[in-house]
Amino acid sequence: MKDIRNIQKKYKGFTLLFYIILIFSIFGLIVSSVSRKISREMSASAIQNLSESLDMMKGTIEAILRNEVEFQSMIAKELAKTENLQDKILTYERNQTMAKLSLIPAGETEGVSNTGEVFTEEGLDFSAGGTVRGMPVSQSYLNYMGTWAYTVKCPVEREGITIATLYIEYIYDGIDQSLPNGFYNEQATLYIMDAESQRFVLKPKGMGQRTAGHLNLNDFYHANNIQDPEIRAEAQNCLDTGQDALFYHDIRGVQALNYMWSVNEGTIYLVGYVPVEAIQQEGKTVNQNIMIVVASLLTAFFLCIALYYRNWKQQDKLRQEQEQERKIHNCQLSAALQAAQIASESKTMFLSNMSHDIRTPMNAVLGFTTLLDRDAENPAKVREYTKKITASGQHLLSLINDILDVSKIESGKVALNLEKFDLNDVVSSVDAIIQPMAKARKQSFHLEVSGIRHEYLVGDETRINQILINLLSNAVKYTPEGGQIWFRIIGLKQRSSQYEHIRIEVEDNGYGMTPEYLKTIFDAFTRAENSTTNKVQGTGLGMAITKSIVELMGGSIEVFSEVGKGSLFRVELELRVQEDAGNQSFWASRGVSSILVAGGSAQSRESILALMEGAGVKMEAAPDTKTALECLRNGLECQLVLMDWEDGGLEAAKALRETLPENVPLLLLAGADAEGLEEALRLGGVDMLAKPFFVSAFRTKAEGLWSEETAMEGPEMDDALNGLRFLAAEDNEINAEILTELLEQEGASCEIVENGQMAVERFRDAAPGEFDMILMDVQMPVMNGHEAAKAIRKLEREDAGRIPIIAMTANAFAEDEKAALDAGMNAHVPKPLNMEHLKRIIRQLEQGKDGKA
Amino acid sequence: MRRRSWISICLTALLILSLTGCGRQENPKNLITQDSGNERVVNLFSPMEKTDPNAENVARAASDLTVAMAEEQLGVSVEYLTYTAETYQEKTYDDVCLDRVRNNMDDIYLLNPDAIMTLGAEGLLMDLSGLESAKNLREIIRAANTVNGRLVAIPQEVVAYGLFINMDIFKECRLELPSTPEEFLECCRVLQEHGYETPVGANRWWLETFVFAQAYADLYNGGNTEAEIEALNSGEARYSDYMRDGFEFLKTLMDRGYIDAEKAAVSEAIEAEGPDFKAGKTPIVMAYWGAANAETAYGKTDFELRVIGFPSSRGQMPVIPLTGLAVGAGAEHREDAAKVMDVMISDQALQIYSETNRVISPSRNVKVDCTASLEPLNDRIEEGVYVLGSNAGMKVEQWGNTCLIVRELLNGASVDDCMDFFDRLQDAALNP
Repeated sequence: MKDIRNIQKKYKGFTLLFYIILIFSIFGLIVSSVSRKISREMSASAIQNLSESLDMMKGTIEAILRNEVEFQSMIAKELAKTENLQDKILTYERNQTMAKLSLIPAGETEGVSNTGEVFTEEGLDFSAGGTVRGMPVSQSYLNYMGTWAYTVKCPVEREGITIATLYIEYIYDGIDQSLPNGFYNEQATLYIMDAESQRFVLKPKGMGQRTAGHLNLNDFYHANNIQDPEIRAEAQNCLDTGQDALFYHDIRGVQALNYMWSVNEGTIYLVGYVPVEAIQQEGKTVNQNIMIVVASLLTAFFLCIALYYRNWKQQDKLRQEQEQERKIHNCQLSAALQAAQIASESKTMFLSNMSHDIRTPMNAVLGFTTLLDRDAENPAKVREYTKKITASGQHLLSLINDILDVSKIESGKVALNLEKFDLNDVVSSVDAIIQPMAKARKQSFHLEVSGIRHEYLVGDETRINQILINLLSNAVKYTPEGGQIWFRIIGLKQRSSQYEHIRIEVEDNGYGMTPEYLKTIFDAFTRAENSTTNKVQGTGLGMAITKSIVELMGGSIEVFSEVGKGSLFRVELELRVQEDAGNQSFWASRGVSSILVAGGSAQSRESILALMEGAGVKMEAAPDTKTALECLRNGLECQLVLMDWEDGGLEAAKALRETLPENVPLLLLAGADAEGLEEALRLGGVDMLAKPFFVSAFRTKAEGLWSEETAMEGPEMDDALNGLRFLAAEDNEINAEILTELLEQEGASCEIVENGQMAVERFRDAAPGEFDMILMDVQMPVMNGHEAAKAIRKLEREDAGRIPIIAMTANAFAEDEKAALDAGMNAHVPKPLNMEHLKRIIRQLEQGKDGKA
Repeated sequence: MRRRSWISICLTALLILSLTGCGRQENPKNLITQDSGNERVVNLFSPMEKTDPNAENVARAASDLTVAMAEEQLGVSVEYLTYTAETYQEKTYDDVCLDRVRNNMDDIYLLNPDAIMTLGAEGLLMDLSGLESAKNLREIIRAANTVNGRLVAIPQEVVAYGLFINMDIFKECRLELPSTPEEFLECCRVLQEHGYETPVGANRWWLETFVFAQAYADLYNGGNTEAEIEALNSGEARYSDYMRDGFEFLKTLMDRGYIDAEKAAVSEAIEAEGPDFKAGKTPIVMAYWGAANAETAYGKTDFELRVIGFPSSRGQMPVIPLTGLAVGAGAEHREDAAKVMDVMISDQALQIYSETNRVISPSRNVKVDCTASLEPLNDRIEEGVYVLGSNAGMKVEQWGNTCLIVRELLNGASVDDCMDFFDRLQDAALNP
């Protein structure tokens, strides 16, 4: 069909072209015929014009001849009246036309000229028979002046009897003066030829080329290459009969009209040529103008066509672009529709999942409360039920937190809370969380840290934790029991000395993912659905949240996975290095100037040395315990030895301990699952530092080694709230009751006010020391928590600025915490209230207060 | 962008065409342009150009350039009048010149040496010594054109005559270039033996150059020129004594058939002998310097051309007759004609003339290189070895008279008859 359309289109194109060519051919034919007609007419007109010009010159010359003869007749008549003719002739002087006057008396052969010379007819040739008004004209000759002349003889008659003959010599120069100074714009060539001798006797001024000339007709023929016998015969015939001749012949490559124009019945001829171009000048001009008009019309026509074509092309291009745009739009719309459908389906699926996921713990809560109600008298069952209710509540809370996180990330309301943190804390906390989970599933969890140069960094610790826990909990979830999980923190080459470039890898040999799922793993509301993973609970939002947070931190996340072989998540982050991290005085204050690192992998030793750089301690490294022992025996002085437990174990530890002086402690760098460590620890002067090595942990451990105090604060921790007096602002009665109950259970007292305003007023009116702390709900009627905190801080009380204010809010995000701190509060605890968390906060605040004190 | 430019150009062109078509207004009054009516004209009389239609005459073109220069500088119009005898029976160009000068027909004339001598002696030529450009002339030029203390003519080129040799034929016949009359005769003999029946192509004008070379080789190159001329002018020495050897030499050439006397007597210069020479049928001709550069003469030959001096006792001898431009003393436009002359012989004009025509300039300030074929002739002139074909200082006119007497020889007169002519001429000149 398309082919047929193409052929039709092509055929139409050819037809159109044919018609255009036809129209132009007809147009060209008309223009050409008009042009030829004009040329013909103008040529005929020009030939006529040339003939007229030549006739005019012929008439002029003939008039001159007639006048000369008439004048000669008058002189003859005058002479006839004179007695002494010869004396009379001497009185005449030559003029511009008459060169010489001579007289021969009748019956004599000699006479006299006006010059006084003897005159005879000898040398004058009248044989040709040429006459002017019946008077004989001689053949042309060169006269005594060196110019061409002719003589006319006329009888001098007295009373009817010829008494003498008057000869007057005329020069052709006289004719020159009467002819026009050139014709046809001086392009025409003209000679005056004596017909009898065929000698050119005059080339009038302005007629023909100045520097060229011809002697006679033959020379003219030769010079102008007129060799055609027909033409020459015709010309000769004209000469013989005294007729005019006009013929075309090229003169030096230029088409010319040649002429031989008879004067005085053929005794004289005007001979020459005029280039046709000069004759047809008007015709040529008209044709040129026609051509200009035609060319202008054609130019205008083609210009119009070009403009039309250009316009059409532009329109076509526009149309195509619009078509393309429409197609793209349609595609986009389809894609958007599809995406919307997928999103809708995902959300439907998500809601379905959520419905299930929320209902499950909710059912547990409600079910156990029913059971609680029934078995209220059985404390063991009550504890068991409350424990399960708490677990279900915690799960429910995490679900809600995730949903809220995604919602916030999607609406772009997430802000990073950049603070100083220690990488050791992050690793430790993550390890503490994941290790038990992995153990529970009988999985091997490997923690590796390498190449890290700085552990004191600046970043959002909470979010980094969130990333790591998300990835690792997923690894635990999606790895079957007995599987392997690797958690690696690798220090990459720094792009800037101010930033630590960290790669975090979480690898497992679990179920793995399909390529299709990999494409959508970071999309919200998706979850790997298969028979294996259906057992796994989760919101499906974890990876989307993780990716968003990583990108928010300017990092990148990649995933590699294969079904049945496991997955590898790789996160790269650049975190700013703390400027004042290196506390050089720490080791100096404890008299430590040199530390020996013994054993372990080269990478591990390098990592330790790198991390200890700038600590103000000379670090010595020995590749193994044996070398370390040798160094020590050779007198190496150090105040601390760090030994890798895996390099030699107990025996090596013993050997070192024996070699080392008593006051030099030995720290064993060992993993959590190290065996035989207990015996080593009993050697005395030996302690253990958990892998991976971090300076902060090392320092904490060292602090313990040199400190006499053995911090055993554990039992006191339970009494953190005992005897404290709280002022709590809480508008919700149930929450207020729960709070009061919980605090009282901890031995604290609490006074509840209903809003912020009341809290401010109550604190303002309270006696100094009446309250130890203020617990402040944020969202309250009349005055919210932030305003209340600000108002309290502004009160003119001695303790208004220092009384700890703890925010309690269901808004558990970092920005909420920041807002609380900005309002002048000291800490933030999320709702529902976790007493352990509250106690920890309070302890920190108390310690801070003491420290300040 | 480019397309837009094209469209703009086309539209502009159309607009201009339309505007020019509409914008011209006709003069509503008198449609005829009025001539000023006082155009200054100077008439120049010179030989007629009679040539092949497609040929260009370099010499003429060179002269035209100087005329055009004068017209441009002076605002005058130079009209060319011309004549050349059609047959030998007609009046010669020189005769016509004499008539025209005597009747004040023109203003400037290109004259041959004898005409200069004759008209100068008659006082019919204007004294040009006052012209600014005349100060640049070589002394020999000035001397040769001074009659009765009046500089009556000035040439635009030093016309040197020489023998034009077809070197291909000479090489074929294993001939060296001849220097003496004997060597020349020997060359002719060998050439004749090789089938060149008439080795020397001649015309009725230029055979006298053989005579001048032999006659005056010693007079002009012997270091006693002035005294010898003085002796001739006083009658102590006879022209016939100088001329005899040359005439006898010509007679020998004629008798041995090296020259076709009958043909030469009725032949015009170059027209008769030129075609045979160019066709390689005649090995030797005589001609003037410019003929080696002019296409109309021997400017383009199919063979190697060499131009040498005429044979003499002093070796190859160039003959310099010195034609010249003269102004009629009674010319109608004599003042303008003198101004035109001043421009035509200025260094600037002669530089153009000499470069165009590749000739020796009469101005001592103008020098140009010559063509290779002319080098032998040029070398002799540069050496100062040459004879003059005319000398206004001699009381007997040389160029024209010798030419006429040679014609007598061609027509059958004996050498003695010819010497008698010279004696009579000398006597007539010394006892007018």
